[in-house]
Amino acid sequence: MPKRILLVEDEEIIVDLLEKKLVKEGYEVLVARDGKEALEKMQAMDPKPDLVLLDIIMPKMGGFEVMEEMKKNKTLQKIPVIVISNSGQPVELDKAKKLGAKDWLIKTEFDPQEVLEKVKKQIG
Amino acid sequence: MEEKSKKESFQSSPHIKEVFDFLPFGICILNQSGIITDANKTFLKVSEYQANEVLGRPFSMFFLNPKEIEKILHQIVETKSFLFRELILISKNKKEILTRTFFSLKSNTEGKVEGYIVGVEDITQLKELVGRLEEEIERKTLALEQKIKELEEAKEKEVILRIRERAKSRDIEVKVEELEKVKSALMNILEDIEEERKKTEEEKNKTLAIITNLNDGILMFDKEGKISLVNPQIEKFFQIKSEELIGKTISDLAQISQFKPIVELVGDELKQIFREEVEIREDLILEITTIPMMKIGEKIGTLMILHDITREKAIERMKSEFVSISAHQLRTPLSAIKWTLRMFLDGDLGELTKEQREYLEKTYQSNERMIRLVNDLLNVARIEEGRYIYKLVLADLIPICQSLIDLYKDEIEKNNLTLEFKTQDNLPKVKVDVEKISLAIQNLLENAIRYNLPGGQIEIELKKREKTIEFSIRDTGIGIPKDQQNRVFTKFFRAPNATKVDTEGSGLGLFITKNIIEAHGGKIWFESEEGKGTCFYFTLPAES
Repeated sequence: MPKRILLVEDEEIIVDLLEKKLVKEGYEVLVARDGKEALEKMQAMDPKPDLVLLDIIMPKMGGFEVMEEMKKNKTLQKIPVIVISNSGQPVELDKAKKLGAKDWLIKTEFDPQEVLEKVKKQIG
Repeated sequence: MEEKSKKESFQSSPHIKEVFDFLPFGICILNQSGIITDANKTFLKVSEYQANEVLGRPFSMFFLNPKEIEKILHQIVETKSFLFRELILISKNKKEILTRTFFSLKSNTEGKVEGYIVGVEDITQLKELVGRLEEEIERKTLALEQKIKELEEAKEKEVILRIRERAKSRDIEVKVEELEKVKSALMNILEDIEEERKKTEEEKNKTLAIITNLNDGILMFDKEGKISLVNPQIEKFFQIKSEELIGKTISDLAQISQFKPIVELVGDELKQIFREEVEIREDLILEITTIPMMKIGEKIGTLMILHDITREKAIERMKSEFVSISAHQLRTPLSAIKWTLRMFLDGDLGELTKEQREYLEKTYQSNERMIRLVNDLLNVARIEEGRYIYKLVLADLIPICQSLIDLYKDEIEKNNLTLEFKTQDNLPKVKVDVEKISLAIQNLLENAIRYNLPGGQIEIELKKREKTIEFSIRDTGIGIPKDQQNRVFTKFFRAPNATKVDTEGSGLGLFITKNIIEAHGGKIWFESEEGKGTCFYFTLPAES
């Protein structure tokens, strides 16, 4: 059973590139284009994803709200989250950490290969 | 015989007898033997004898010392002279009468001595008078002398008194002068005090005006911890009248719901705090500071300053959101480009020709520069936001420097540079925001690489200097022109010789670095000579 990753990202090209990279590595990738869709998919998914790659600034519902909702849910709170964002202020990093995020990657500072390595480190 | 002698005596001139009797003093005519042959009435009166008891008797027998009379008579006969004597006549009633008696020879017409003429003058009264006069004079003299003495004494006393008075008055003058001085000094002091009082009053009014009009809320607690002063801002913050607060203790305030968060913060003992944030309501965030009020080492109360930071917090939040959104907006296309190019270059999107790869590599590097510029701009925005330094931890600068050196190893080799890193043993740690201090060192290292000359050197050194850690990075590069040196840390500044070497710099690196160092309580400076090289130094407070 391949490991399931929920990729929550509204930027089309990022989704395409990262999905390509992860699938190539043998992961099963599900995509949500905003936070709301992400939460719905997480709840519907069975089995639950092994990892969530989560953007912060998105339409409808942002990444922080997604994490807050996940934290409220006993099952969802167990899923590791890696934030992939274009922002990265210390306050945001702290907030994410408090909400249980495992890592925070600023997209301009990392490339898909490095993201893949972080994913591997997290779920193998 | 008596008759005969009478006739003999005064017969020559019967008138003479009358004259004799009339004389105020006694006259006696004596024969050569000293027997009285005649005596006038005055003598009889003085001697209190009758004529018959006198005539024919020795003159000397009527006197106290008869022998003396005889001697006198004998003497005048011998000397033929005239003589006065004071002699005491004994009267019939045995009274001693002082007389002045004069003796003269009585000669007849032929000049033959035939007896004596004796004049007896009763001088008792005169003597008495003289005695009285003398006594009087004596008395008067004594009295006068006494008076003189008294006067002299009085004068003396007066003189002494005057001297004393003069001395006294001099003393008094001196004293008065002293008093005048004291008075003038006191007046000066009083004036000073008055001035001080006025100043104090003015200061008090000023202070009161400041307290009243201050945008910060002020609560003053007295020695017993009771509120003694409330300014209008407090009333405005908590919508409460100052009368409701005066006299209350901090524990009393816990009963008022709005004050609860403050009471929780400072505790019943009103502990000293500095700019602690408290959210009173959604629309009121306060920054609380408590300061003990001291007077000669003794605590006389506590001053609580409540600074309204509601608006600041809102602006801070907005700024943060702005930076976040800006970062997102600017970075989103850059990350899309970066990722696409990277996947092309990594072969994830199919094979590339050599030429394609070269172009894409160059495009990727351009994009990286753009990313750095955006990062710099975001850093500047955050510096200007004012809360750039975020998390201070105790850190060792050696591994921070080492990891940065490792990061730039390839670039150093590519530029044919040599790098030396010198450190000391037991270097104290520093309290830093690691991410920021790394950025500061990275900027300095990048400059040392970028603006060095081919085959140049870089020397990084960390050493303890007094209570600081001093970092230095020396290069053998192009240097900074002297006339440009004062602008080095200015935002967007790039020296003309640097622009010629490398057109890419944003001119933000050193501005960011300086802000980072100074935000850590450190100092940054440099030494540079154009064409020879530059050495940048910074210090950070060492932790003991």
